[in-house]
Amino acid sequence: MATGSERKPPASLSRSTRGTTPRLADLGESPRTPRTPLLRSISSTFGSPGGSFRTEDEYLVIELGSRFVRGGFPGESAPRCTLSFGPDEQRRVGDYRPCEPEYVHKRRKTKRAQAWAHEYELYRTDLSRVDLGLVEDKFERAMREAYAKYFLLDTKPRRILLAMPPRMPHPLMSTVLDVLFTSFQTPSITLVSNPVLVAAAAGLRSALVVDIGWAETVVTAVCEYREVLERRSVRAGKLLSEEMASLLNAQLDRDAAPGATKADVSFEEADEVLTRVGWCKSVPRSNRRTLYFPAREAPVLEEFEDAVESPPPTITIPFPKHTPPTELSVPFASLAKPTENALFAPELTLSEFDDEDLPLHHLIYRALVQLPIDVRRLCMARIVITGGVSNLPGLKARILKEVEALAQTKGWDPVKSYGKASARREDKLRNQCEDREMRKQEGEDTVAPSLDPNTAPNQIPPAAFQQPEEDAIDNKFAQLAVRNGPPPASLVGGTIRGVETLGAWAGASLVAQQRIKGIVEIERDRYLRDGLQGATREKEVSVVAQRQSMGPGLAVKGGERASWTLGVWA
Amino acid sequence: MAQSFPYTYYACDCFDSNTTTSTKRASQVVAAAAATEDEEQTFDPQNPRSNYALYPLEHLLYCEDCQQIRCPRCVLEETLNWYCPSCLFEVPSSVVKSDGNRCTRNCFNCPICISPLVVNLLENADADQGTPDRHILICPYCHWSTLETGVEFEKHTGVYAQLARIANGGKHIPTSKERDKERERRKELEARQRDSKNPLSPSSETAAVETEAREPPSRDDLFSNLAAFYKSQLEAQTPANPFSPGEMNFSSPSAYSRIMNLYSTNTAKKQKRVKPTPMREAASELEGLVIYDPASDSAAIERIKRDGWNSTLSPTQKLAQTNPHLQFADELRPIPTLLCTKRSKRCRSCRHILSKPESKITSTRYKIKLLALNHIPRLSIRALPPTNPPIPSIPGGSTASQPQPFNYNTLRSGIPTHFLLHLSNPLFDPIRVTLATSSTTPGKVQSRVTILCPQFDVGANTDVWDDALSSSPAPMARRSTINAETGQIEAGKIWDKGRNWTSVAIEVVPGFLADLKNVSGEEDGLDEDDDLLEIPIFVRLEFEADVHAEERGLSDSRGSKAERESREQAFWTVVGAGRIAGR
Repeated sequence: MATGSERKPPASLSRSTRGTTPRLADLGESPRTPRTPLLRSISSTFGSPGGSFRTEDEYLVIELGSRFVRGGFPGESAPRCTLSFGPDEQRRVGDYRPCEPEYVHKRRKTKRAQAWAHEYELYRTDLSRVDLGLVEDKFERAMREAYAKYFLLDTKPRRILLAMPPRMPHPLMSTVLDVLFTSFQTPSITLVSNPVLVAAAAGLRSALVVDIGWAETVVTAVCEYREVLERRSVRAGKLLSEEMASLLNAQLDRDAAPGATKADVSFEEADEVLTRVGWCKSVPRSNRRTLYFPAREAPVLEEFEDAVESPPPTITIPFPKHTPPTELSVPFASLAKPTENALFAPELTLSEFDDEDLPLHHLIYRALVQLPIDVRRLCMARIVITGGVSNLPGLKARILKEVEALAQTKGWDPVKSYGKASARREDKLRNQCEDREMRKQEGEDTVAPSLDPNTAPNQIPPAAFQQPEEDAIDNKFAQLAVRNGPPPASLVGGTIRGVETLGAWAGASLVAQQRIKGIVEIERDRYLRDGLQGATREKEVSVVAQRQSMGPGLAVKGGERASWTLGVWA
Repeated sequence: MAQSFPYTYYACDCFDSNTTTSTKRASQVVAAAAATEDEEQTFDPQNPRSNYALYPLEHLLYCEDCQQIRCPRCVLEETLNWYCPSCLFEVPSSVVKSDGNRCTRNCFNCPICISPLVVNLLENADADQGTPDRHILICPYCHWSTLETGVEFEKHTGVYAQLARIANGGKHIPTSKERDKERERRKELEARQRDSKNPLSPSSETAAVETEAREPPSRDDLFSNLAAFYKSQLEAQTPANPFSPGEMNFSSPSAYSRIMNLYSTNTAKKQKRVKPTPMREAASELEGLVIYDPASDSAAIERIKRDGWNSTLSPTQKLAQTNPHLQFADELRPIPTLLCTKRSKRCRSCRHILSKPESKITSTRYKIKLLALNHIPRLSIRALPPTNPPIPSIPGGSTASQPQPFNYNTLRSGIPTHFLLHLSNPLFDPIRVTLATSSTTPGKVQSRVTILCPQFDVGANTDVWDDALSSSPAPMARRSTINAETGQIEAGKIWDKGRNWTSVAIEVVPGFLADLKNVSGEEDGLDEDDDLLEIPIFVRLEFEADVHAEERGLSDSRGSKAERESREQAFWTVVGAGRIAGR
């Protein structure tokens, strides 16, 4: 037997000289083993500027989500792998249960006393019920799979660009960083927050990023690549799949023979139904209270009725794991209901919501209202909807329409109904509306103002309604700006508009491809020495200031910062 | 567990010892109290973390220098070579990354099931009239073929290269160079249009652009547009600042002159005064900006309504695609086979090589392979056919009288069942073994466990002939273990013993599932695998071995043979004895 022969001492003779002590420590600088230093500093300004200006190291791009980890290489449009954290990924080595033929026909028992789909998550932000060791194990195994199966790297150290949500508990962060630094020997990790990357992947500098994720929907206003405001709601993927499961359960129970056990659809089935045939009505149902506007004035709020089709279309969904295996016919229209209920909750009035479970359109509207006016102007024309749920067909259109309708009815006044103020607002809105109507009519039929009995013939209209005088020089400047400056299309603002994005991973890939230095850059040595505590308190370490004040010799030091920060994560 | 009963798992030490300080720091913040008691606790196979620490013995390596088990988590891997598992072609390392870690020859997997696709020749009715042959990829298992997505090939070789040029439906995919050219062309066109029109009226301009009816750009197009846009924007800024970390090439003359300009004071000052214009946003589709268009969504909705479930893709099928953002079955592409690697493994703490395969692809042999199998005693369990009721006339009669095999899947609650723990020793030295377990198994279903003989010796793994040649006394009769009067197995005695193995009896009283059901008040109070009877056993070995066998071999190989040292080794194992039958 081959194994028996290899056990003999001669096989290990050659290795014996090196001693037996663990030698993780002398990786860095050991006098005996000559190695190329990682960052060779050029001693003086006379040294020729070598390649050290360039960030030579290659990057890996990893996006961390609560249910998926995506990994790949910069400059590619799609990640090399998307790894999930289902129970099948958490089995013991040598447990080949998923390969059994009857496995696909059995529904797994879900762990009781656990939240919906708990075992499909990598982490949750409520750390009181998270076993960090388990998170580490899961993440480590996923990364090991990514490295061994999809990246297939040589031994060269790779820096990692890690895309993370901007709110991560520090224990969780250090768990993740630990794995990457110790198990995968990364020399440094650059952290970039998801909303910024999403904006970058849409080609924008400012955006209102609506990330409909797993546990919560996060609305982040990004202005000039900086997060300025953040609002969250629990109406997101988890709630949605729970709604879908309850819909399917109800349908299955309805079809089941009397006396059968209650249907209990597993998360996998609900999720599959949702991603395959789930959809969203792109036009809201008509029960909106058209309080301020009569219908003819607000075409957006026109009564919408579903075109009644006969017979109503149905979708046949197979349930091989149900007992007995069955095929369920679900009316197509009802497949849009979970989305409706989970994300928009049209049946409830605004007062019934708590702060953390606002429907998406209200959440977005609130975020917009709370923004400073100039930021709002930019952001409302750059609403970027991303996240796993946003792939549901029709959802983006619906959100945009709802937000637009809200903005139309409520305006941009942060004071909503507040005693007397509300009445005044109504007046104001009505007046505004009438004004608009009037002006439109004036424009259409040229009734001379002098004929109008209400107005005095020579009355000058108030300044707000006057046409501004045209200035030739202003015009010229405007022309120049259009010719030389950015194209006007990139300056659009003030209207509700949705912009498509390629997602956070693609954004990270773009950023890494351009070799842009991140604000939050964590070096391995420093991290292993101090952990997250080693970061400075300041949120911003300026990259620019250091860059300007140096000659070629100092530039190398610039690559290696004196202190590092955690930026938005601090 | 899916492994057939009975089975044994070994826990690797790295489970508790390898955690770095900061994780401990972090976990202490969260659960400060729990951390302190951890030391003394029994290994709990029900703990979800245990799934990551338990391995079958065959999966483990052994570091001779650290004298420890090494699991896949505590080894470092180095890739030796890359190859396609389907055609066994070795791929040079230089092209691995650019090819996307995929085989670039003819190896494809089916996007529906995952079986390998084969190239088939389409029937060619009028071959004699000079029409060229057409080939398709077809799945021999589920009969999916590229015909369904409208892709055909001219040749039966180089399918990967052909496929890269054909989009679904037979259209041509531009290469990245063609894409760049096309982008430039359209940009110029746009610029000309803008110049000809009044620049202040954006409405007419956008209308003009939209007159060319095009299908929406693919993700790849968008990505390359964005990348090109950012690159041009960054380049527009870099001349003002040669030290920006962007792309810099010191070999080009322009960059060189830029650096020289730095040192001539005049220009440098002038340059500093120029305020860099901030990078602008993308303004058109050619720069990567896509305004949301509800048309595609409503088309998708209509499509689902029309075609139903079968036209859509399951999550696994989506994730297996190179571009996971698909929704419908006709967007599927054949999956090029992922490459495999041959890797050598090093111990994480001492960096010694633990396993190294031969670099030849077709060879399955190893140059170095330090298996735990050769260093760690193998512990196995099997059921002892029931001794109750004892048959007094045949004292050891439980062996052959019952031909019916023991059913491990239906252990009966509350009835004492006997198992045999069998320990075989791969070492050349006799070992002394101490087994320990808690009296009840951890988890919801508590079974009582008693190891009847927790301490015993196992002989050395000497030459097989030694055993046969030596006139050893007759093997210890197992009848001595069974008390002749009561038929009970006597505690404190080993059951059986051979040259390098020993077996002892263990008594298990499986716990009651029913109790739990009543307590929870519901029909089904148990999780998956809660009814498993898994016994954590702590194994401790003591033996005398030659001092540093390998070191001595180098320095003073002769003469010091007598030098022995006592070693000990300890680890947790989990023994799966069966499944407790419910009512």
